[in-house]
Amino acid sequence: MDDFSQVRKEAARILSEKIVDMVIGFKQGTIPLKSQPMFITSQEDTDKLILDGFCQNNLAVFLHDQPKDKRIGIICRACESRAVRALVIEHQVNRENLYLIGVPCMGILDWKKIQDAADGPVTNAQESGDQILLEIGDKKQVLIRNEFIVDSCRGCGHREPIDVDIQIGEISPIEMNADNLPQTWGESFKSKSADERFQLFTEETERCIRCYACREACPMCYCTECFVDHIAPRWSESMVTPGGTQAWHIIRAFHQTGRCVECGACERACPMDIKMVYLTDKLNDDMKKEYGFEVGENEEKQPPFATITLDDKNRFKY
Amino acid sequence: MSHTPKIVLFQCQYCLASSADQEWVENSLPENVKLVKVPCSGRISPLFIMNAFQKGADGVLVSGCMPEKCHYITSNLGARRQLDEFKKFLVFLGLEPARFEFLWMNIDERGVIQNELDAFTSNVKQLGPNKKFNTMKDEIIGQYHG
Repeated sequence: MDDFSQVRKEAARILSEKIVDMVIGFKQGTIPLKSQPMFITSQEDTDKLILDGFCQNNLAVFLHDQPKDKRIGIICRACESRAVRALVIEHQVNRENLYLIGVPCMGILDWKKIQDAADGPVTNAQESGDQILLEIGDKKQVLIRNEFIVDSCRGCGHREPIDVDIQIGEISPIEMNADNLPQTWGESFKSKSADERFQLFTEETERCIRCYACREACPMCYCTECFVDHIAPRWSESMVTPGGTQAWHIIRAFHQTGRCVECGACERACPMDIKMVYLTDKLNDDMKKEYGFEVGENEEKQPPFATITLDDKNRFKY
Repeated sequence: MSHTPKIVLFQCQYCLASSADQEWVENSLPENVKLVKVPCSGRISPLFIMNAFQKGADGVLVSGCMPEKCHYITSNLGARRQLDEFKKFLVFLGLEPARFEFLWMNIDERGVIQNELDAFTSNVKQLGPNKKFNTMKDEIIGQYHG
């Protein structure tokens, strides 16, 4: 984003006018290709704020750890604003105590893929228009940005931040979904036969080390005690066995039905590169087909599983 | 075909109005069917279904009340939404659809569950033993737990 100074100014303004106690944004990481979340309480620090394709996290994940009455400003891309709305619907945050600064999103870049495509260890990386400029020691390399956008951002249908207090910058009409790119994992998974699908699912989950990074990165995973942490009774196998990892991935995704904001933070947080977005995508697609429900589109509508209605009478066969 | 499928029956305790049916379910189920009686179909978490398949069930049958007939008034509606979606999800991950079925019972009917259980069992029998999600079966889990 070219005029990010406006966002810094706005963040400084809301801090100095005591509209908020804290602003959550991103700062330059200590290593290239990785920007890191930042919690600003003093006005001087707002100069460090940045936003680029290397901002992997969904900032809304930090909201439910904070006291509900704390006033927080948050730099919101579309995913974050949708997550905030979903959290408001589920009464996890107070919307009155939040100040959302909407910024346009250009899609998040897959740093692992960039590192693989580079000729050596990347020492510095910058975005410029539709290119990524890499420095590898003394050498320079240019990559095309569109090819490195993560799967969950490709063909994104929600690029406009919703329900923000102030919108800075315009949504650029650049199409992120390049046709010459290979199919995403989710698309190819759908076209397989049942046995192949199970085989692929098994291969993916086998790598899981159960670090629960996906859970920690997810803005909608806020239970104080997760079902896998429960000891008596032990609801599911908690060890790193095929059974345990399969149950974890299935039930984790299922708990997100009609709640997942499709930001893909879980997949980006995974140290083992396990695909997960195709699971929640499938469930969300079903919710849209069956109940016409889409996360974040409505301010009051509860997710389908929280809605009990007799209209369902003829929905399922007897 | 000598294979006898292992069936788990999750049964809502109010879904059979006739005491003769309930008696049959409690005392005279075929040996290959394991009964899990629950207070209401709303109590059935998808995790229970998952655990049943993981521990070696070849088929899971859920029997609950139809809408407007629930003892707890609306709990079965939530269960229907969740479990129906959970079935679609397991099918998406490769499970055969016939292995996981529902019976939404009308409490006016008599003698339905016997026939339905027979039909379900024979359907599952045709599919053969379940080879998916059964990672916690005794003979398989031995490799991981010594």
